Amino acid sequence: MNDSTQPIVDFLARFVEALGIRTPVDVEDTPDGPRFDLSGEEAEILARHRGEPLKALQHVVDMAYGRSLDGDRRVFVDALGYRKGKDIELRQMAKFLAEKAKETGADQQLGPLNPYERRLVHMAVAEVPGATTESVGDAFSKIVLISSRK
Amino acid sequence: MSAQDQKSAVRAVVEVLARALTDRPGEVQVRESQHKGTTLIELFVGPGELGRVIGKQGRTAAALRTLAASAGEKEGKTVTLEIRDSPYKG
Repeated sequence: MNDSTQPIVDFLARFVEALGIRTPVDVEDTPDGPRFDLSGEEAEILARHRGEPLKALQHVVDMAYGRSLDGDRRVFVDALGYRKGKDIELRQMAKFLAEKAKETGADQQLGPLNPYERRLVHMAVAEVPGATTESVGDAFSKIVLISSRK
Repeated sequence: MSAQDQKSAVRAVVEVLARALTDRPGEVQVRESQHKGTTLIELFVGPGELGRVIGKQGRTAAALRTLAASAGEKEGKTVTLEIRDSPYKG
């Protein structure tokens, strides 16, 4: 915990209280930035509707506190590890498609994905030797093409 | 009209979020009223702060509506959120 994470911890505590749920706010400091997880059972309400409320909370935190972090560090907000689980699934899917592209030689598509999700896919495929990624499409709903390196 | 002394979760959530987003948290006011089974939440922000709660392409406004709906879900309410730029008097 440091000076730039404390305001976010305080904000999440106020949010949780306003919503009327009881949950701990777990904080983990990672090289990519602080990760917050509302780990109590009642935080499940934020993981409903395919995690839309969590994405909304992430957006508000980005807008209100995103600039207070240095460099490329980014805040990540989660509830009951819901988004973490989704991220792991997305990385696995990206790697699976990378292997498939290498075996068949055919480009594989993943998406549409938001910028955060695309970054995860690019990083996951970068760990597969002989596979490359490229984002195609416009603005907010680009897809990622996964191909074997020629 | 709802009782003013008891703040609902919907109203409290919108207030906390809006105060975090604006540079003038003291000027954020939230009013709640009932209309034909739906709950109307009116969010008032200080002059020039409208952009902060609406965001690019209305993305922040959409996020506020999503979270207001979550709070409403908890209380069994259907919520409509209106964002207004003049401070609420009274």
